[in-house]
Amino acid sequence: MVATQLLVGMAEIQVAKEGPLFVCLGLGSCIGLAAYDPVAKVAGMVHVMLPAAFADKPVDKPGKFADTGVPSLIEQMARLGASRSRILVAMAGGAQVFNFGSGGAGRLDIGRRNADAVEAQIQALGLRCLGKDVGGNQGRTMTFDSGSGLIKVRTVTSMERALCNLKGS
Amino acid sequence: MDGSAPEFNAIQISCLSEMANIGVGHAATAIAQMTSKPFHMSVPTVRSVELEAIPLMVGAVEELTVGIYMPVDGDVPGHMAFLFPWKSAQAFWRLLVGQAPESPEQIGELEASVMLEVGNIMNSSFLNAISEMCGLPIHATPPLLAVEMAAAILQTIVLEATATDSHALSIETKVSCEEEHAEGYFLFIPTSGGLKRLFASLGLPEVA
Repeated sequence: MVATQLLVGMAEIQVAKEGPLFVCLGLGSCIGLAAYDPVAKVAGMVHVMLPAAFADKPVDKPGKFADTGVPSLIEQMARLGASRSRILVAMAGGAQVFNFGSGGAGRLDIGRRNADAVEAQIQALGLRCLGKDVGGNQGRTMTFDSGSGLIKVRTVTSMERALCNLKGS
Repeated sequence: MDGSAPEFNAIQISCLSEMANIGVGHAATAIAQMTSKPFHMSVPTVRSVELEAIPLMVGAVEELTVGIYMPVDGDVPGHMAFLFPWKSAQAFWRLLVGQAPESPEQIGELEASVMLEVGNIMNSSFLNAISEMCGLPIHATPPLLAVEMAAAILQTIVLEATATDSHALSIETKVSCEEEHAEGYFLFIPTSGGLKRLFASLGLPEVA
């Protein structure tokens, strides 16, 4: 049976009982964070754009920022019966895709800051991270098959490869 | 301001389309002169979009793409980008330097600077035309180049735009040269503050 595909667009949070295939397409400096509670069989994914909410603006979409998106993902999963202490996560993205041009390397370093901010949230919430594929210059597509638990990452130049399995096997 | 689309009326939007059309005409002439080939640019589409929707607007989101990004400064700041599918980028390289890299790893300093220059010339021609029409200073800043999935490139540009806006009027057009089977996608996202100054300079009042 082909799993239902749940496309997780920029700033979106998707949660579901296990089954669907969660997809973050073409992660550049954004971060995809997949989460799974193996006991409650609740899965979710967030597509974070920026490290922290703007101090002078209301948060229009919690999934946009690491400091609101990660807690919000966990909270939405908890509403479906997940427990924070059991949740396993994996993350990918945080690249710097513009690598040519004047001052290129230092100019847009948002990817690294995103990765740091998401990791800080993972630690603050006490979540167990089973796999991460962050940084570098390559954009990534991240998939999370919540039926099998398998997290895969592909880039334009490499074949799809398994990052980890949130069902632990 | 955040969370809802800035309101622009039909007159403002059609005026922007017309200006963009003249701008892309200038850009097409510039690229034709640079390559000595006829280039065509379609009439630009102006759309009110949520920024997060932009990465999925190009059809082939995971396709290997060459992207040139130029932040725009001045009275109408914003973000400008040119995207070419890999095969079209190779056609550009063949036209301009006689040969093309076979894979992204083969892009050296020469290939990178040629592509940056293509972006520079097209974007500057577009911006100069707009700047002259509205009498406001607008200038491009040094370009950046990425060779990546189309969505990953656009996503990074959207992140930059998110610092000031959550919605935008996006101006898009297709660039093509049939003879060389080359095509590209041009995108300009002015900030909403910049658009307000642009419309004010033309004597187009804000929506009541």
